Amino acid sequence: MNAAPPVLDVANLWVGYPSYRSETVHALRGINLQVAAGEIVGLVGESGSGKTTLARAVMGLVPEPGAIERGQVLFAGRNLAALDDAARRAVLGRELVMVIPNPRAELNPVLTAGRQISNVVLHHLGVGRREADRIALDMLRAVRIPDPERRFAAYPHELSGGMAQRVVIAIALVCSPRLVISDDATSGLDVTVQSQVLELLQTMVREKGAAALFITRDLAITAHFCTRIAVIYAGEIVEIATTRSFFRRPRHPYSIMLLAAFSHNPALRARWTRSQDAAGDAAVAGCSFAARCVRCRPLCLTEPPSLRAEAADHAVRCHFPVDTAA
Amino acid sequence: MSLLRYIGRRILFVVPQLLGIILVSFFLVKLIPGDPAVMMLGPTASQQSLDELRQKMGFTQSLPRQLLHYLHDVVRGDLGTSWQTTQPVTQDLFQRFPATLELISFGLLLAIAIGFPLGVAAARLKQGPVRKFADYYGLLAGAMPDFWLALVLIYIFYTKLNWSPPPLGRIDMAVVSPPTVTGSMVIDSLLAGDWDALSSSFGHLVLPVLTLGLINAGPILKMTQSTMERTLASDFVRYADMCGLPRRVVLRQAIRAALPSVVTIVSVLYGFLIGGAVLVEIVFSWGGAGQYAVQGVLNADINPVLGFVVFSAIVSLVIYLMVDLLYFALDPRTRT
Repeated sequence: MNAAPPVLDVANLWVGYPSYRSETVHALRGINLQVAAGEIVGLVGESGSGKTTLARAVMGLVPEPGAIERGQVLFAGRNLAALDDAARRAVLGRELVMVIPNPRAELNPVLTAGRQISNVVLHHLGVGRREADRIALDMLRAVRIPDPERRFAAYPHELSGGMAQRVVIAIALVCSPRLVISDDATSGLDVTVQSQVLELLQTMVREKGAAALFITRDLAITAHFCTRIAVIYAGEIVEIATTRSFFRRPRHPYSIMLLAAFSHNPALRARWTRSQDAAGDAAVAGCSFAARCVRCRPLCLTEPPSLRAEAADHAVRCHFPVDTAA
Repeated sequence: MSLLRYIGRRILFVVPQLLGIILVSFFLVKLIPGDPAVMMLGPTASQQSLDELRQKMGFTQSLPRQLLHYLHDVVRGDLGTSWQTTQPVTQDLFQRFPATLELISFGLLLAIAIGFPLGVAAARLKQGPVRKFADYYGLLAGAMPDFWLALVLIYIFYTKLNWSPPPLGRIDMAVVSPPTVTGSMVIDSLLAGDWDALSSSFGHLVLPVLTLGLINAGPILKMTQSTMERTLASDFVRYADMCGLPRRVVLRQAIRAALPSVVTIVSVLYGFLIGGAVLVEIVFSWGGAGQYAVQGVLNADINPVLGFVVFSAIVSLVIYLMVDLLYFALDPRTRT
């Protein structure tokens, strides 16, 4: 890894949601994650694993009533959660940006696409409206939207999903950010449009020299676009490795289960998938994945595993890492 | 250009709408018990004179025939004569409608001035004194009858403090009314540069406007608050926050998105108040259109009632047309 300090440094981050009648639900349980400049890190997990909470925590915007319980997030050395509102707003959208899914619902319905890009330019770069409009139009060209002049004046409901996604990418990258977070950004798109948009995002991130955190449910995406991959399960990183090492030799049973889900071999899928109905609730004290793990042993039910380095570029949270090359 | 076509089409549709409204209200009014002839001639009139009057007024004809007659007159701009004022109904209404419109227009302006900012503030602050005040205000405004509030205000500001003029009409009897231009006494006095008339008419306007404003700020407050809460929690506001746009810019965008529902509630209140402000009109002897219509109903004076229905239907239709045009301006999604 690079010697330069990471753009993003998440250190032992715990985020909890207090619950009305029962105990606090811990959405993130001791996340450690660094993203260096120029890196594209993929964060893979199923719904409810804490992906979006992590994205919000990085921006210093943990959704109410959640709160950071332990640890901290440093973005370029600054703790965004500790900044006041105005200072945080100066960083968000400028240095740290978010590419959102379902942009047609998240863009302002009564402002034109061009105006929404130029608003960000206007407030972050301190230029006048005319200059901001010019930069916005250039950005629409850069994201290769067809007929950019017309789209500039179009309202979100007049754009297709793919075009709206390009507008959101334009908003994200127009101020040349240092870190781009993409939260399931392409999940709502057609597969063909999805790969176009992802490629565009990858190129633009590289061109702007930014780092990226790619949050997704789709392992296949990470294989093509990421330099490193982290798998998150129940608020914990269970495996983290370079893309090469991860796909060559996945070690955690959950990672293998995710990979097997893409397989055309039903026997392979069956071998790594355990019916959740068969699982008890016994794993509270031990490994969080024990109840769904096909390789669960007595130790897994009593002792939580820690994240151990199996190689220089590969760490896994498992008592009995899988040792076969997949 | 499509906008002009749209307006033209809407105005064209006013004709069948008016026809339907007249049709329904004509038969409804005819159902009101009471014989105008008896009312007009008094209890001692002879049967013969009653019959003659009925004959003269066309009450002996069949209902459809009477309706046709009425429609025929309406088309020529004649809404009949009121036997109480012995004047043409159109003339009466042209005197009284501006009084009502002045009252409810200023009343609603005040209601917006109170309800809208309070609603926005209450939506932004989840707890604290402002939120609490807004909650109680909404409850109180909904629970209080307007005529009762009017009486309380009169008791305090006229009877006790003597700050306001007596609740008798729109202007002091000793002051000469300004020449009619807009129909609003206050604006007309201003246009005429007549300061005596201005201060007198303004003084008379304060309490009734305060009554309507304070009461109707309630629904506007509630609507603004709930819409703003929804907007502030919406995806696009969250996204604008994530883009680091300044707080005031995000708030402005949210208010902009909440405006259409506020416009809707204001237009509904306006249409309702044309007739609904009648109790306030009576308390202040305002001499408005609602009062005129109620007197017509009580005294089996049919023409003023029907005339009032026609007038308020036209005003409502104009207001709804204006609302639709406002929607066009506010929301690009409606411009398809």
